[in-house]
Amino acid sequence: METVLVVDDEQGILEALADLLREEGYRVVTASHGREALERMTELRPDLVLTDWMMPVLDGPALIGRIRAEPAFQGVALLGMSAVDVSALRRQYPDMPFLQKPFDIGTLLKQVRKALDSRQR
Amino acid sequence: MSSSEQPARTDARVSTGVPGLDSVLGGGLVPSGVYIVVGEPGAGKTLLANQLCYHQARAGARCLYVTLLAESHARMLANMRDMAFFDSALLPEGVYYVSGFRTLEEQGLPGLLELLRREVRNHNASILVLDGLVQAQEAAGSQRDFKKFIHELQVAAGLARFTSLMLTSDGPTAHPEYTMVDGILELRERTAGVRSWRELQVRKFRGSATLAGVHGFRITQAGLEVFPRLEARVRRVPPPDPGIYRVHFGIPSLDALFPGGLAAGSTSLVLGPPGVGKTMMGSSLLAEGLRQGETCLFMGFYEPPNRLLNKAASAGIDLKSWVDDGRLNIIWQPPAECILDVLADQLLSDVRKRKVKRVFVDGLSAMTQATPETSRMASFFAALTQELRCEGATTLFGLETPRLFGPVLDVPLESGPSAVAENLFFLRHVELEGRLRRLLSIFKLRDTDYDPTLREFVISRQGIEVLPPFSVAVDTLLTGLARHPGGGHS
Repeated sequence: METVLVVDDEQGILEALADLLREEGYRVVTASHGREALERMTELRPDLVLTDWMMPVLDGPALIGRIRAEPAFQGVALLGMSAVDVSALRRQYPDMPFLQKPFDIGTLLKQVRKALDSRQR
Repeated sequence: MSSSEQPARTDARVSTGVPGLDSVLGGGLVPSGVYIVVGEPGAGKTLLANQLCYHQARAGARCLYVTLLAESHARMLANMRDMAFFDSALLPEGVYYVSGFRTLEEQGLPGLLELLRREVRNHNASILVLDGLVQAQEAAGSQRDFKKFIHELQVAAGLARFTSLMLTSDGPTAHPEYTMVDGILELRERTAGVRSWRELQVRKFRGSATLAGVHGFRITQAGLEVFPRLEARVRRVPPPDPGIYRVHFGIPSLDALFPGGLAAGSTSLVLGPPGVGKTMMGSSLLAEGLRQGETCLFMGFYEPPNRLLNKAASAGIDLKSWVDDGRLNIIWQPPAECILDVLADQLLSDVRKRKVKRVFVDGLSAMTQATPETSRMASFFAALTQELRCEGATTLFGLETPRLFGPVLDVPLESGPSAVAENLFFLRHVELEGRLRRLLSIFKLRDTDYDPTLREFVISRQGIEVLPPFSVAVDTLLTGLARHPGGGHS
């Protein structure tokens, strides 16, 4: 079973995404900010980190930076999501996919699958 | 005390970016102040706070927007996206959104306070918005805890030099501890019958005087726009003395009734029933000003500009060419619901911008009927005419009387514009010798001699012409039911 770590400071969105991904057969762990996400990752290495961008404590860019700098986390797929215009984020992080909030379920599941598949290749 | 030890509140004010609001606040928010914005859901609090953030971010400031609400940031941004002030390029550096909901749930007010302090520092924010203060209040163990939270936030705002806006749906009546903050702004929507309108009131403001009372505001695609109550900001100075400069209508037979003319910058009122000729009289006054090289303004409520121009042209008054060359502006406001201060703002802005010398406002009754605030009319007109006098604009107001004929004179002399007008003209339809005639009389003219006789006037393709006095004795003309004292025809 593939494990997805969902990181978002908005509790409602976090819970909704977690429920949805569980229903789709993923194992899901959650964190409400980047620091909590890193703690989760040391406990349980996920296959994919789906992270929000604007968060308290440790935000999306900082989390991505820490994951990429940690050898133990190499190979973990990354997928960003944000309410800000993600076209600018895509230019800044050309090697990382982003979901523009708000998104529909179909788009989310497709992007999650795509990110996981790209990791396996 | 060195300059670095000066308290933060002596700094320049923090502009809200909401047109009209800085004026109401005496220049803007005081830096490092903690403010509460209170209002029912839908009152415009979130919009106001976002408008301020994008305005500040555009000027280089960093703003932190913390929500404690169920509404997602994506949805909030979707609501902002169509607003003129929104700029996605300012995200996330200029305006940064985080949720404090979970922190509040898990760690209570101390955790939330820590989050606010830390995030303000991390983002080097000078503006902090806390959207959903009522959630924080509910999470407080006691009233004392909540007071402590507000106090500590104020201390943090002073130390880290950020200005804070806390949005809540519960007013100071429910939470007396709100009086601890530096200011309370209340937004509300009022309804009367089927009509509704929005109001803003500054309930408390430390640091400077604010414009007292209730001010209208509206929400459009531009965001919030506050219209400071005209009476609260009227200049308390005597208007300039017009000296010898006098104003005429450019109608020889009418001007002959008061050869000295009207004092420039004075306010006149022409009263009369519909169709009697008020619009033509006002148009004549403007046309004469335009011929003299002055800029003029026509504010109307009935005929749209094209119909008005055709109507004036049919009486030999060519206004169109002046509109085309920009010397005459026509502001047309259909007689629907209106905010008095919006109208005053439109009128006075144009007068100031184009240095207008003559103004004709056609349809004061439409203005009165279109506003829910009829009790304001007397003070509103006093303020409006004071401002117009200070600008040196000679103004004629057309006021419709409801009665076409009859023995009752509908002259509201004791209130509203009649009380503040220096000059008063009265037009009437009168039935005499089997013919409907137009009648003009001058009730008062200040600082000039005038002919008090009742005169018939006609409107033809050549314009207005005032006829000589009646050659026969006619009584009760002003009642509209004239009769020869001796009976029969002369």
